[in-house]
Amino acid sequence: MTDYHLVIDGATAEESWTYLDDEAPLSDAPSIISLSRLKDEADTLAEHSAPLGVILRADGLGKTDLGEDVRELAPFIDRLALIAIHFPAYRNGRGYSAARVLREEFNFTGQLRATGDVLYDQWAMMNRCGINAFELAADIDLATFQTALGELSGAYQPAADQNRGALWARGK
Amino acid sequence: MAQHAAKGARFQAVTANRLSDGEVVYFSADNCWVESFTDADIADGAEAADALLARAMPDDFEAHVLEPYLFEVLEADNFYKPASVRETIRAAGPTVRLDLGKQAEVKAE
Amino acid sequence: MYRYDEFDHKLVADRVNQFRGQVARRVSGALSEDQFKPLRLMNGVYLQLHAYMLRVAIPYGTLRSEQMRMLAHIARKYDRGYGHFTTRQNIQYNWPALDKIPDLLDELASVEMHAIQTSGNCIRNVTSDQYAGAIEGETEDPRIVSEIIRQWSTFHPEFTYLPRKFKIAVTAHKHDRAAIKLHDIGIVVKQNDAGEIGYEVHVGGGQGRTPFVAKKMTDFVPKAKLLAYLEAVMRVYNMLGRRDNSYKARIKILVHETGEEEMRRVVEEEFAKIDASNMLTVPQEEIDRISAYFAPPAFDSAPAESATFAQAQADNADFARFVRANVVAHKQDGYAIVNISLKPIGGVPGDATDAQMDVIADLAERYSHDEVRVTHEQNLVLPHVKLDDVKTVYDTLATHDLATANLGLISDQIACPGLDYCNLANARSIPLAQEISERFADLDRQYDIGELKIKISGCINACGHHHVGHIGILGVDKKGTEFYQISLGGAADENAAIGQITGRAFTEEDIVDAIETLVTTYTDLRADGERFIDTYNRVGMAPFKERLYD
Repeated sequence: MTDYHLVIDGATAEESWTYLDDEAPLSDAPSIISLSRLKDEADTLAEHSAPLGVILRADGLGKTDLGEDVRELAPFIDRLALIAIHFPAYRNGRGYSAARVLREEFNFTGQLRATGDVLYDQWAMMNRCGINAFELAADIDLATFQTALGELSGAYQPAADQNRGALWARGK
Repeated sequence: MAQHAAKGARFQAVTANRLSDGEVVYFSADNCWVESFTDADIADGAEAADALLARAMPDDFEAHVLEPYLFEVLEADNFYKPASVRETIRAAGPTVRLDLGKQAEVKAE
Repeated sequence: MYRYDEFDHKLVADRVNQFRGQVARRVSGALSEDQFKPLRLMNGVYLQLHAYMLRVAIPYGTLRSEQMRMLAHIARKYDRGYGHFTTRQNIQYNWPALDKIPDLLDELASVEMHAIQTSGNCIRNVTSDQYAGAIEGETEDPRIVSEIIRQWSTFHPEFTYLPRKFKIAVTAHKHDRAAIKLHDIGIVVKQNDAGEIGYEVHVGGGQGRTPFVAKKMTDFVPKAKLLAYLEAVMRVYNMLGRRDNSYKARIKILVHETGEEEMRRVVEEEFAKIDASNMLTVPQEEIDRISAYFAPPAFDSAPAESATFAQAQADNADFARFVRANVVAHKQDGYAIVNISLKPIGGVPGDATDAQMDVIADLAERYSHDEVRVTHEQNLVLPHVKLDDVKTVYDTLATHDLATANLGLISDQIACPGLDYCNLANARSIPLAQEISERFADLDRQYDIGELKIKISGCINACGHHHVGHIGILGVDKKGTEFYQISLGGAADENAAIGQITGRAFTEEDIVDAIETLVTTYTDLRADGERFIDTYNRVGMAPFKERLYD
């Protein structure tokens, strides 16, 4: 059981993934592992056939607390079915750039998930940056989620979604 | 926020800003938020101050006010006044607009 | 001036409704104050000492008359009859009630105004030259690219929760009136040798606790590539900017710690990646559409000289002084740029009453092609006044205490709200500005002293720009008492520089005397034609310090 419920591409979805500790052995179930494990066990993982996901952590790393570098995922992109971006605090927006890099620079097409401190007023921005899966608190229903996504009816600028942005769309 | 630490202060009161309009308010002996500093409850000593702040911050305090805190108060001739320039200005109003803030309401009475 | 289309209107309306919902959720308890705070900040709502404060954006400092009238109306209906014009071309209201702010924002939206991103860790209001479109010698009107940047940065999904706030300023003139080198990004619109228009980009300027003059990141970004370049700078900052310590989170610290060369390399690398998609190349039709809004107004053809204007100066010494100090040559023959000082002797720098705002709106409508400008030095401008009309405009200004002839002089000070209003301040700023202004009230003495920029901040956050004042004053708190530290030699123009601290701080009683000592030191030492800053740059700190502390 999880303490969240999952919304993928705007619809309620069953959780089929498990976050694995670095020490826990891999199974045949879809697993989300750390970036360091992904790098350390690259050779073994190449043989592993079950769907693989990774979590990009944002806090507690190094003196300046920057978080992991999304571009370290470059060699593994084709191997990954899911990338979870951890938001340590809703105010920490570093993960928005990670999401866009994954979608637009690496053309990642798998599940891009927001985890951590992910709240109502940030969902729409995350969605525009290419995040398509959200771990929502148990008491939030789907209608609330959809309301949040629709609060602003348009956008001025392109991002990772289909919205081209008014600066480009006007006169078209 | 600046300069309202009250370490070593003997007398302290609790202030905050009201959620609905931002008005400066003080916590009273009757356990409510009041607009005038003269109605503020004054704690004598560190323990009493902690107790006062705890009374001012029940679970639902955020429904009424923002960011309650203790500040130092001085006793002078049977009345109290805020110790710092900052709290003096909060209790009265801008020193450059004597027609505004609580000082204006007092004058008007 | 730019006018909203249906899309702009709808988006601003959506935003007001969204904020109305957020306020309701805060009041109902669904949002904690911690969760609500960044949301209210991104809609311009602060908590100050006495009340909430609302900061309304005046993009690139340009206002129409009906907008100025709305600002007056807001001051009357939702506030206490006045507003405060700030150093970033915003206006602040000091007393609005939270529960009335959504209604207030609805009214603002009706004249195409908003408070979006006037605070918070996002891209703030884009600022520019107050003389845009009126001064001779511009590469092009800087408001065109400013408006494009305004739109691109509004609700930018990637850059709404940056490590810290982010400010962009634009100029298109060799004289920088927008303090671009003290911004996170400063842009100079320029022409290359091939005659193409593009942008010189400076990154990492800023004031606050650790002031830096921006570093030139690139000499020339072609017009079509600017947004890609800006997005590259922003992405580098969002990914590498520090989040562990808010005092080290601005891009100036990243540039400083990374080093200028390495920063340039990283930005160029990111720029190449972003630009490869061509996704951020704004279509020429859209640039043309926006440019059309900034076409020059329909000026009357008139001779360069006006006999009426000359005669009025000959007849009226006060008017002649006003012209000398506050009126600037216009690019169009027969017109002038008229500065309105919001620094009356003894007044609160940058404050204007609702009645004054209404008067200025009327003057703009009648005599300045419907336009008013706001300056980073907290004054206002009527940018397009016919020479024949300047005296009439002056007469009206004079009857409303708006004709103080002190532009750029010692009494034309920048001052932050300070401890009279601000939650962060350590000391008061406004009373000090008032005392200095009164000490030097005599205009003839001010003209003799010449250009002298005094800038006063009530705390290290430097909203009063003290680091870049010719004379900077910083209020500090020592055990609950206000003290004032002086710095010299700062500048916010094209020769931007950070001032040096003179030494120990002065008490409230001594600070104005200290300023007078500095002024007399300058007048004793100056060579012919030297301004205060020139003399300081020639003789250095020592003679001033000696006189100050002997």
